[in-house]
Amino acid sequence: MPERRVLLQVRDLKTYFPITRGLLLRRAVGQVRAVDGVSFDLYRGETLGLVGESGSGKTTVGRSLIRLQEPTSGAILLDGEDDLTQLSGQALKQARQRLQMVFQDPYAALNPRMAVGAIVAEPLEVLGQLGRAERRQRVAELLDLVGLDPAFASRYPHEFSGGQRQRVGIARALAPEPDLIVCDEAIASLDVSIQAQVVNLLEGLQKRLGIAYLFIAHDLSMVRHISNRVAVMYLGHIMELADKAALHDDPQHPYTQALISAVPIPDPKVEKERRRIVLSGDIPSPANPPSGCVFHTRCARRSALCQAQVPELRALASGHYVACHHPGPPTSAG
Amino acid sequence: MTPLLEVRDLTVRFRREEGEVMAVNHLSYGIERGETLGVVGESGSGKSVHALSVLGLVPQPPGRIAGGQVLFEGRDLLTLPPAELRNLRGGKIAMVFQDPISSLNPVYSVGFQIVESLRCHLGLRSGPAKRRAAELLDLVGIPDPKLRLRAFPHQLSGGMRQRVMIAMALACEPKLLIADEPTTALDVTIQAQIVELVKRLSRELQLTVMWISHDLGLVAGLAQRVNVMYAGFLVERGPVAALYERPLHPYMAGLLASMPRMDRRTEESLSAIAGRPPDLTRLGSGCPFAARCGLADQRCREEMPPLQEPAEAGRLVRCWHWQRMAEGAAGHA
Repeated sequence: MPERRVLLQVRDLKTYFPITRGLLLRRAVGQVRAVDGVSFDLYRGETLGLVGESGSGKTTVGRSLIRLQEPTSGAILLDGEDDLTQLSGQALKQARQRLQMVFQDPYAALNPRMAVGAIVAEPLEVLGQLGRAERRQRVAELLDLVGLDPAFASRYPHEFSGGQRQRVGIARALAPEPDLIVCDEAIASLDVSIQAQVVNLLEGLQKRLGIAYLFIAHDLSMVRHISNRVAVMYLGHIMELADKAALHDDPQHPYTQALISAVPIPDPKVEKERRRIVLSGDIPSPANPPSGCVFHTRCARRSALCQAQVPELRALASGHYVACHHPGPPTSAG
Repeated sequence: MTPLLEVRDLTVRFRREEGEVMAVNHLSYGIERGETLGVVGESGSGKSVHALSVLGLVPQPPGRIAGGQVLFEGRDLLTLPPAELRNLRGGKIAMVFQDPISSLNPVYSVGFQIVESLRCHLGLRSGPAKRRAAELLDLVGIPDPKLRLRAFPHQLSGGMRQRVMIAMALACEPKLLIADEPTTALDVTIQAQIVELVKRLSRELQLTVMWISHDLGLVAGLAQRVNVMYAGFLVERGPVAALYERPLHPYMAGLLASMPRMDRRTEESLSAIAGRPPDLTRLGSGCPFAARCGLADQRCREEMPPLQEPAEAGRLVRCWHWQRMAEGAAGHA
């Protein structure tokens, strides 16, 4: 990236979900700490990959950014000014125009009773800046931009394949000319041969329009391909954040190392030679996270300090952040 | 030696409103004793349906076995009386499916469900069956097996449930384990645990495994031999190393080229396969991949290529242009 201008600053974001009991007198008996103090910057025009396993809170981060989910506390600064968590009414609507989302399931994300043209036009209608004829023109442009025939505007979602539906979802997200698109597992439900098509489309759009992506995914290979920087989440915390080359070639957090070593590589020779760091046990419940470092229950490097104290996300090298008391390259103990 | 399982000319159809779905088309192959066969393909390639029909689990109607044989220890499973087939399933042939939560009964403890299988297939009495069930949970790496027998499915994590499923599958010392996307619903670190487990079991118990997956990476580290399916056809087959290094079918080559790799930098855009899989109710007479293939010509569009045998040992490919692929042509458009 030539210039790095900050688009979003996320500071100590927390999103908790209450656990309730009782039918008539619902009372909170606990909370799931889905996102528990996450801070990062997102630059204009970059792709920030956000990876993690189920329950890591990566999707909740994405949804909290555009206030589809109300954050419990923290700040999200847009252009260093407006705090998105404090906005409401017209101001929120204005801000949301700049932040759009593409969802995982292209079958559930499109209203089956609306024609594709109407789906793509809906954000434009809500914004109310264009007349009817201009809107139709813009919808045709958008469909063309995502590689669909503008003549398809009168068709309904069920007439399209999964990959094509995801293109419709992308066209809809592009309609208000956003600065950021949150892609939440946007290719996970597509077949391998179709995934590459959609990823190439996203990359092409970024080059032409300068949009930033928060690319939330569990597929680390694809994240490595598409991202400029990558953040690794575990149980509501960012464990490591770095340029993709640094993260993949020189991971410092034991969790990142285990995660990378678990990703299969489509090459039998490489697979034969590989040494895997197999983590024992499962990811603990976010309703009852471990004390101190949330990863310590599965970590081979844990010490008394790890059980007692939450490690801060600190810079080890320029732009390489790690939340670990004992960072470093993999040891023989894993 | 004859293969443990031999599929001959298997053809499966499904009746739908739009027409008849040609789900599996003239599929023939064998699995040798002790080997792990990977079956790869995308959704609609027929990889799961063919496994279900091997086990007599295709619902009929709307499904229909339109032809072929499935030979297991010399008997054709497709013509076996239902009672005998039931005996075989969960006995000599065991299965593990993608979604462990819908494969387990939520109202019974996992111990009860394993014991049920042991009593039904092996005729064990309650006491020995319980001891064996605990041994099985121990075998698949579940800590405190005796305690875990009393757990209900919802009390276990996804990875633990899949271990229970594998324990149940192994209960009657099967000869063949059919695993249909068993790790797709799991996280990668848990997937790595399950893969290590199955590799260990296949080694220790001389288990023959058919592992069905859409994940080429996973199969690369697991299988000795691989079947590649597309639109219900076997399009390529071979030993894993040769197949991945020198794919002879443009589809397999295209798939490998379109996948980013964790161990490599990709500075350019991915080389995607254009288009999408054909409508299985309207398969023409030609090669089903022709519309997406960079090497396709008139003959490909009109005439189905037969499975051909290159000189290389153990390889099969269904493509008119495999020789050009062998010479290094890039088949994908």
